[in-house]
Amino acid sequence: MNTFLLLLQDFGLAAIPAVGFAMIFNVPKTALKYCALAGAIGHSLRFSLYKIGPVPIEWATLIAAAVVSMIGVYWAQKWRAHPKVFTVAAMIPMIPGVYAFTALLALVEIERKGFTPELLRTAVDNGLRAFFIISALAVGLALPGLLIYRRRPVV
Amino acid sequence: MVTTPDINCPETHQRDVTNLCARVGGMLLQHSAECALVESITRRLGLALGMDGVEMALMANGFTLSTFRRGRCDTTVRRNQDRGINMHVVTEVQRTMLLAEEGKLDAAGVSARLDAITPFRYPRWLVSVMVGLSCAAFARLGLLARDAEADAATYLITFLASAVAMQVRQYLASLHFNPLVNFAAAAFIATSIAAQGVIHGWVDSPKVAMSACVLLFVPGFPLINAMSDMVKGYINTGISRGVMAVLLLLACCTGIVLAMTVWDAWTWL
Repeated sequence: MNTFLLLLQDFGLAAIPAVGFAMIFNVPKTALKYCALAGAIGHSLRFSLYKIGPVPIEWATLIAAAVVSMIGVYWAQKWRAHPKVFTVAAMIPMIPGVYAFTALLALVEIERKGFTPELLRTAVDNGLRAFFIISALAVGLALPGLLIYRRRPVV
Repeated sequence: MVTTPDINCPETHQRDVTNLCARVGGMLLQHSAECALVESITRRLGLALGMDGVEMALMANGFTLSTFRRGRCDTTVRRNQDRGINMHVVTEVQRTMLLAEEGKLDAAGVSARLDAITPFRYPRWLVSVMVGLSCAAFARLGLLARDAEADAATYLITFLASAVAMQVRQYLASLHFNPLVNFAAAAFIATSIAAQGVIHGWVDSPKVAMSACVLLFVPGFPLINAMSDMVKGYINTGISRGVMAVLLLLACCTGIVLAMTVWDAWTWL
């Protein structure tokens, strides 16, 4: 598939979980479209960095989360709401859910079938990847606060 | 509960402000705001309403709060009961604090505005449909990243399984079941529905359907909150939120493994 079309598809698809999960978090109605946009920007930026570009997925996640967080700070000041109202829902498409579940299910399998190096490798590989991606998301989100708004609140 | 502050009685005023701060802190913690935000909003509200200082110690299921004014100190301890994530409440509380900071609200005004906040919730059916669509989108996103394709039935069964599971999850939550029990039961149902597609051979990518339909159970908000808390120095609450998130994931695993055993459909690993 054409790279541009692929990216466009990723952009559009990532907006759906951002809105769906924003509704679980009861984000106010007026903020939903911002969640959708931020989710799409974040996920498609990460996609272009690690899939089309050469960046490892963890670093791509960190960059994408930091960019979304910067946008979130701008919206937060405009709408008088905490940036996390917009940004956490936008992170949801990037959450490594499949890695986390695979790691835990591999542990359950070790218990059920007995130890094999393959199962342990699956558990450790997936678990570490999930941990590092989630850390990258949280650190990326905190980056404006760590670098720019060091001793003053964003809103 | 909170009366108009009596200028002639500073103790009454301080007690009222302490109660207001405790109420604000409690509301924020109950609706899953991160600790740095809870502490900053509570402190700023207290300072805006004339206190010399506000200090707060946060724990996983409660907090201690003190206000200082002219050498007098009021301390209160409150329990924190989780009421689920609600960004609407967090936004409204923050706006109340900002109005107080701008001098547009006094203690009585803040109290009245807090009374008026009723947690907003989206209609259950709408959330279920949107979450169903979200999981179908997750399935597609996962395939895009691996340059793979799947048939329409895969997306359809993912949508169906996760929408039904979300409806069950919301129903069980409304009956005040423990979230761990709730997640295990709903994950069992999601995997069972997806397993039908695998057993009857309706889908050409069984692993995709099975793994995407349970993604609605990934506690993304608690996980990010846990890491954010720890990055910002609230190690205690960060650990307890993180452990809760991992427990929720494990509860889901129980449901998934049970369903795979019942239907004998081991497509995950």
